[in-house]
Amino acid sequence: MSGDVHVAIERDADIVTARQRGRELAREVGFSGTEQTLITLAISEIARNIVSYARRGGMTLTRVQDAGRSGISIVARDEGPGIPDIELAMRDGYSTGKSLGVGLPGSRRVVDEFVLTSTVGVGTTITMKKWLR
Amino acid sequence: MQQGRSQALVHEMGLDEANIDRRMKAVGFEPSDLPNIEAIKDAVVAHVDDYNKTFFDHLSRLEEARPLLTSVALLDRAKQLKRAHIVAMVGGDYGLLYAEQRLELASLYAAAGLDTRAFLGAFHHLLKHIGVDLMKQPERASLERFESFMSLKKVAFFDIALIVDVLVFERERVIRQQQEAIRELSTPVLQVRNRMLLLPIIGIIDTLRARLITESLLSSVRQNRAKVVVMDVTGVATIDSKVANHILQTVTAARLMGAEVIVTGLSADVAQSLAAIGIDLSKLNTVGDLQGGMEEAEQILGYRVLQASAVAPTAPLAS
Ligand SMILES: Nc1ncnc2c1ncn2[C@@H]1O[C@H](COP(=O)(O)OP(=O)(O)OP(=O)(O)O)[C@@H](O)[C@H]1O
Ligand SMILES: [Mg+2]
Repeated sequence: MSGDVHVAIERDADIVTARQRGRELAREVGFSGTEQTLITLAISEIARNIVSYARRGGMTLTRVQDAGRSGISIVARDEGPGIPDIELAMRDGYSTGKSLGVGLPGSRRVVDEFVLTSTVGVGTTITMKKWLR
Repeated sequence: MQQGRSQALVHEMGLDEANIDRRMKAVGFEPSDLPNIEAIKDAVVAHVDDYNKTFFDHLSRLEEARPLLTSVALLDRAKQLKRAHIVAMVGGDYGLLYAEQRLELASLYAAAGLDTRAFLGAFHHLLKHIGVDLMKQPERASLERFESFMSLKKVAFFDIALIVDVLVFERERVIRQQQEAIRELSTPVLQVRNRMLLLPIIGIIDTLRARLITESLLSSVRQNRAKVVVMDVTGVATIDSKVANHILQTVTAARLMGAEVIVTGLSADVAQSLAAIGIDLSKLNTVGDLQGGMEEAEQILGYRVLQASAVAPTAPLAS
């Protein structure tokens, strides 16, 4: 069984690395091509938010097992400014970066579990899990 | 020049008191090391010129050090800084100023293209000489001398870590600059036919590059009075909401200038997953592959593309 994959996120190129590692792991776990693309996209969105809003952080990708099912867990951490209003940030179309505002709500839609904790001035942690069906 | 450079480096490498504390901790430096070093300070300072000479003599025997040794100006400055380094190593003050001085010498090494192996070899050689001299001190117990030397070695390893970090950082800077240059060059807008442009996008799209792409496309649309643009995204490394947004904005801008944009190379999987997270690409004119996109563009322009055989049937080829 493969161990954790950790990717430091600081530049756009790191987003590409995180995506590649995520796709590899998702393939190993046994996700279909379409699911791999969804996982990759969620990784991309969350990693890009780190680069855009927190400047730097890290992402840990792990194969997980629970009650006989397998899946992938993605934990993203940063020590950026934090999100003052999480509910607002999770809303479709809300963006402080003049973008589409779909990153957070969209990622939540394509994974099975999505937990966001954030403290202003301390940082943000997002944990996502997707299970094999 | 090197000094301004080292101040910038301090900043770029995120060197501050806290970082230096962590570095000192990493080599196991403790307050108890200070008296150990203090005890050998005078002996080391007394021979600083010998030690400095040892270092550069070692370098002069190495092919890898040639670039540094052939530049008189750099070599003189390096000797000056190295001498100061040896004195500071036993000075007992290893704060930000000390680190900054290490960076100054390191960036000089980087500028001279000094090989890491050559530097490490010469530094080890220098330490060995100091160690051998210390072992000869008759007035102190050998265990104390050994402990002093080990404390000094912690400082040396702290220095090495800094210097190697600078050498790596500077090497990566060159790579970063090259990547930058390649990116600026790799935004070609090609005119394939009268009033038809092809924009193949390759690599990573960040905000800066997205702007370059949009600008160069719009100016080409104007110059060529283009009616159709085929934008091929097959080679884009990451298509996510940010990139999708750039694509949408570029397409909108081109349309405002009177050009229709056909986007090719968005795989069905990618398009589907973008839809799943809530990005509506339905307003885009997407065609699966580049070939198909070019054909559609030609149709928009009123060209009819026929296979040669359909125009003038040829005799079946003998197999
Ligand atoms: N890691 C983070 N640290 C601080 N703020 C964040 C972080 N991630 C998201 N945000 C905030 O939440 C908002 C919504 O994020 P989301 O990813 O949904 O949209 P966006 O990044 O603005 O646009 P898009 O992702 O569609 O390009 C952001 O505009 C930003 O203000
Ligand atoms: Mg986002």
